[in-house]
Amino acid sequence: MDETATADAGDAPAEGATPGGPDGGDPVVVGEGVRKSYGDVDALDGVDLDVAAGEVFGLIGPNGAGKTTLVRALTGTTEAEGGLRVFGEPPREVDPSRIGLLPQSFDPPARLTARELVDYYGGLYDAARDTEAVLDDVGMADDADAWYETLSGGQRRRTCVATAVVNDPDLLFLDEPTTGIDPAGRRAIHRLIERLAADGTTVFLTSHAMDEVERLADRVAMLRDGRVVASGAPDRLVTEHGGAPRLDAATAAPTTEGVVEAVAAGVRDRLGTDPTVEATDDGLRVWGVRPEAIGDAVDALDDAGVAFDSLSWSEPSLEDVYLRLTGEEYARRGDGGPPDEAAGEGRRAADDATPGGGRAADDATPDGGDR
Amino acid sequence: MTRLGRIRTEAVAAARSFTRRRTAVFFTFFFPVILVVIFGALVRTQPTGGGLFAEPAGYYIPGYLAVVVLFTPLSRVGSEIARHRDGGRFEKLATTPLSRAEWLLAHTLVNVGIIGAASLLILGLVLAVTDATLILSPALAALPLFVAVAVALFCGLGAVLGSLADSQDGVIAASNTVALPLLFLSETFVTPSLLPEWFLPAVAASPLTYFARGTRAITFEGGAWTGDLLVLTALAAGFLAVGAYAVPRTE
Repeated sequence: MDETATADAGDAPAEGATPGGPDGGDPVVVGEGVRKSYGDVDALDGVDLDVAAGEVFGLIGPNGAGKTTLVRALTGTTEAEGGLRVFGEPPREVDPSRIGLLPQSFDPPARLTARELVDYYGGLYDAARDTEAVLDDVGMADDADAWYETLSGGQRRRTCVATAVVNDPDLLFLDEPTTGIDPAGRRAIHRLIERLAADGTTVFLTSHAMDEVERLADRVAMLRDGRVVASGAPDRLVTEHGGAPRLDAATAAPTTEGVVEAVAAGVRDRLGTDPTVEATDDGLRVWGVRPEAIGDAVDALDDAGVAFDSLSWSEPSLEDVYLRLTGEEYARRGDGGPPDEAAGEGRRAADDATPGGGRAADDATPDGGDR
Repeated sequence: MTRLGRIRTEAVAAARSFTRRRTAVFFTFFFPVILVVIFGALVRTQPTGGGLFAEPAGYYIPGYLAVVVLFTPLSRVGSEIARHRDGGRFEKLATTPLSRAEWLLAHTLVNVGIIGAASLLILGLVLAVTDATLILSPALAALPLFVAVAVALFCGLGAVLGSLADSQDGVIAASNTVALPLLFLSETFVTPSLLPEWFLPAVAASPLTYFARGTRAITFEGGAWTGDLLVLTALAAGFLAVGAYAVPRTE
């Protein structure tokens, strides 16, 4: 999906968000200025989004960002203010056979077997998929006769996913579908989502697993404090918000200010750029090191007398975008930057952004001078 | 899937869930049995004395039946709602074609089956361990109807309690608080003559009173019972409607 990634203040539609389906048709899901409060807490504070037919849409954000509330609003299981349309209708008026839902906290009857649970939820629809095929899709065919309460956490979640797809929905809401699932189970769920998307099912996915969203989603929205702070295709978001590649050196000795300055000078000489070098918990980090410059950067470390135990180089990922725009980077790194400052940075990214989103992108990148 | 199909699907799942909880099954049947043994076999009635249990044994058949007809649906439906709410099941069901009324009807059917069996057990036990006898007449065929309608009524009330209470503990406390006064002040174990006259309108306002009067007319006293069944049916329809409306759809 070729589009522009945006950072969005939340009060205006996200420019660059796909206004319709790949075929130019009406979007399947539309939210305009969606608001929801619990007492004094604004769970959703003017969310704008749309999801095209056949799209896998990823919604990510920290705990308490409003992801589950948004899923509930879109599935009609909670009341929210603002414009909400699913298949062109208010959520509660949508034909339920077109919707599949895996709630985040879902605990089906414990003393039914996996097969009975799929049969049960399938039996509530006019037409349902074959139970055995659904169980096979989620990798539960071999354990289908065990009571739900005796299944492992991952098997339970996979069974729950099966109950969400048993009616072969046109629009599938999966709220944290792979939480607690082992890698094999995750792969089964990923394959299922990919197959459903290939068959034309629209998937609305929330997840904390960035690699999962990056792999599966055509488009992503990042939610923080009930507002969409950025949206767009994952690769575009990474390009525009993820920052530069970085080289991390793990050292036995603490990194002093003098070492940081010496490395910065060495990298400047060898790479001809003005790098950002910073001390980390276990060594130091050099930002802006392209793959072809790794050797020169390592030489600069040697020149500065840095005795490193290991080196790692990484490209920016969706996780970097997430951490940066949701203001969690400092909290995660614990490298001296106060979490409030980080949160403020994320907030600026949201508040300063126009619907076009350029300023938020500039403000948030390492090269944008905000660190 | 037709409405009946959805109700059947929900009822089958609910019945399987219940019958596989052996402790719940055991105490559903054991609780009224204890009452029959204590009051029917140990305390026993004293027709020539005063106070409680001064009536012939047959007078108390409706009271023993009322124990399961009242307590079990209140606590079961209320707890089921709390369990569904805690487990996000209503959130899931709200996106399926199953309506709240269908959900309640399905669980009412399961309760009718369970409590019907428990009532049969109690009736047999009362007849076996006390001096009570039944009037054998065609009207006995209406006894299961009374049980079913009363169970439906209290399933509706249980749904209301389950929706109002915020936890399973709360549901149990609320259902006991509602059920105990109803049980003893609805012409079941306490005769109207033992109550102050000013309180009798409250007795007449209790739905359980019509269950007690009707079933007593059928099993012990003879006489008209259709009026009681009609009142009970009308009340059951009302409570089921309110209960269906109260079943949570959302968080």
